[in-house]
Amino acid sequence: MSPARGSKPKSASRRWPLTGTGAVAAVASLLLAACGSAAGSGHSGPGGTNGTSVTAWIVTTGPSPINTVINQTVSAFEKSHPGDHITVSYVENQSYKQKLQLAMGAGNPPTIFWTWGGGPLKQYIDAGDMQSLGHPGWTASFLPSSLGAVTFGGNVYGVPIEGTQPVYFFYNKTVFAKAGLSGFPATWSALLADVRTLKAKGYIPISLAEGDQWPGLMYLEYLTDRIGGPSAFDAIEAGQAGAWSSPAVIQALTDIQQLVRAGAFQSGYDSLHYSGGGSDALLYSGRAAIQLMGDWDISQVLGLNKSFVTAGHLGLAAFPAVAGGKGNPSDLAGNTASYVAIASHATSAQKKVAEAFLQDELATSSYAKASVGAGEVPVISGAAPLFAGQQLASYDSTIYSSVQQAPSFQYSWDQSLSPAEATTMLTNLAQVFELSQSPQKFAATMDSQQGAS
Amino acid sequence: MRLADLIGLTPAMTLFGLFILLPLLAAFVLSFFRWNGLGAPHWAGGANWVQFAHDPVAATSLVVTAKVVALSWVVQTPLSLALGLFTAGHQRYRAVYAACYVLPLLLSTAGIALMWEALLDPNFGGLAGLSHSLNLGFLQQNWLGNANLALYVIVAIIAWQFIPFHTLLYQMGRRQIPRVLYEAATLDGASGWQLFWRVTLPQLRYTIATSSTLMIVGALTYFDIIYIMTDGGPGYTTRVLSLDMYQAAFQQDQFGYASVLAVVLGVLGVGIAMLLIRFTGFASMESQQEGAA
Repeated sequence: MSPARGSKPKSASRRWPLTGTGAVAAVASLLLAACGSAAGSGHSGPGGTNGTSVTAWIVTTGPSPINTVINQTVSAFEKSHPGDHITVSYVENQSYKQKLQLAMGAGNPPTIFWTWGGGPLKQYIDAGDMQSLGHPGWTASFLPSSLGAVTFGGNVYGVPIEGTQPVYFFYNKTVFAKAGLSGFPATWSALLADVRTLKAKGYIPISLAEGDQWPGLMYLEYLTDRIGGPSAFDAIEAGQAGAWSSPAVIQALTDIQQLVRAGAFQSGYDSLHYSGGGSDALLYSGRAAIQLMGDWDISQVLGLNKSFVTAGHLGLAAFPAVAGGKGNPSDLAGNTASYVAIASHATSAQKKVAEAFLQDELATSSYAKASVGAGEVPVISGAAPLFAGQQLASYDSTIYSSVQQAPSFQYSWDQSLSPAEATTMLTNLAQVFELSQSPQKFAATMDSQQGAS
Repeated sequence: MRLADLIGLTPAMTLFGLFILLPLLAAFVLSFFRWNGLGAPHWAGGANWVQFAHDPVAATSLVVTAKVVALSWVVQTPLSLALGLFTAGHQRYRAVYAACYVLPLLLSTAGIALMWEALLDPNFGGLAGLSHSLNLGFLQQNWLGNANLALYVIVAIIAWQFIPFHTLLYQMGRRQIPRVLYEAATLDGASGWQLFWRVTLPQLRYTIATSSTLMIVGALTYFDIIYIMTDGGPGYTTRVLSLDMYQAAFQQDQFGYASVLAVVLGVLGVGIAMLLIRFTGFASMESQQEGAA
């Protein structure tokens, strides 16, 4: 089994240890020299020579004009604050929460980071990871209702960076015209009738990206509100026993399954993801007629198929009323705004720069005007005149006035609830959409989860 | 053990200790705490383990994982064996085919997942287009959204990704079998089929053991493609244990419970690997060529 050892020349076996050691020593000394010089330079820390470097994480779902606006705003800030730098990283939507949670837990989060406020933000505040802005006067330029999701104990923790994002029904006006439908249905039963008409004409009635699970939640939010009013979810949020089994929730889930059974959604709706524009493509290519989505979709479709939006083919409509329902048809659901907040794990110089960015750039009407141009509806007071002359003026005015007039603007459920409850809700709701779980089973599962954190 | 042996083993043992033993130990300790990722962990005793024993989702995950492991082995081993024996031969254009078969190995896992997701899209995907142009109705399916199909589609894509690797293993194994054995068998009047069963397969015993161990333990912990393509859906039909662990930790903020799942996965993997090595005689390291010239 062992090879004949005598076959190796003696000179080779004696040379190897010397050349081998020499090679190892040479490489090791090179490495040490490299490490030494790298350690000496260090990274630009607070107040190095002239300025401070700050990192920022912003969420994106794809190519969006608002990202360009943010970049331009950062450049303008760096010009007016020489020496200070803000490095913006755009993070993909689906994995953002995990990424931020990890960074927070490890103690080195970005100084400025995107947040949807609500329950998860409260978690960070309780863990001492957040920098409070107090209650400064400059935050008064924002609509008071918009700061609700980031205000805890009277202190403001974040500032809107993207505008209000209520959820509406978006529809392809050309498809509606071809199918002989005049305008968007105002009642749920009319919607079902239109779904059947569209299906008969060979169109996909509604485009749905249930692969991400939160698009389906929008149906549940609105139906529950239209049927039972805002108090139905208020009970759930307060953790009342049996709140999930209320008649409003059960009826809402039943209506969802009725929509599924009517064949309203495209084939493969339960595996399609929103990021990447798959469900938008169905809408603007004329294969699907309707999509229920937050108003960030206008910005996204603008980036994917500009002429579709600018030629006025994208229709916007409120969620229909449900006959006999207690909810006001003007009620809204969605994100009151998207915010940025400041982490406490940063040097005081970095926190100062971050706060200056929020105050000098994001709270100004020039930022609001620029974001209007990118398809956002800012939550600055008195923003109505800013929309005039912009390419999306009609959408913005409609959205802004609907937000001002809405008796209730319900925050997205998966932001208000605890992460554990939210995840269970989303997974089980997806099963309701797939018709593999009954409304009663969903309610029972969620009720038994009630209060779990 | 001589000093030179110890010195030689130190780097590998250090890396193994730091990156494998220590995290496993840490996961075991963390499984007795409750922690949401922020702040300090709270002692929970055996609560997480009790939760695991009563959790229907974890039970489903174990079943799904077992299905993925079994199906992966059943699909990948015969195909890899056949392809490996083919590429080990001396046919014309063999090298061209071999190069084609190895292509999936060169692609990143995320790239494979996204590419197949695009191909399988029922509205815009390649398969849907093919079904229209060739008029093959059965190609138009909701591949990843149909609860009955999704698991098999995932197993097929995993097989597509890893068959090239095992093909290479079998190719090398086949090439190491001395020609002398085949000549002797042919002289004794063995048919092609008998050559396969009586010479090739027994000689490939250790290759099959290696390949199977890698395949089974790999399928046990596989995560990437399933996470990107279905995220455990539709429902819970593709939710393997590693995915359940990821969701418990990073979406439900329950790091203690996720550690329980991690320990279970680790113990299962090590246990199965040891069983395989014991029962295939790998540990004894007997020579395959006793009596050969």
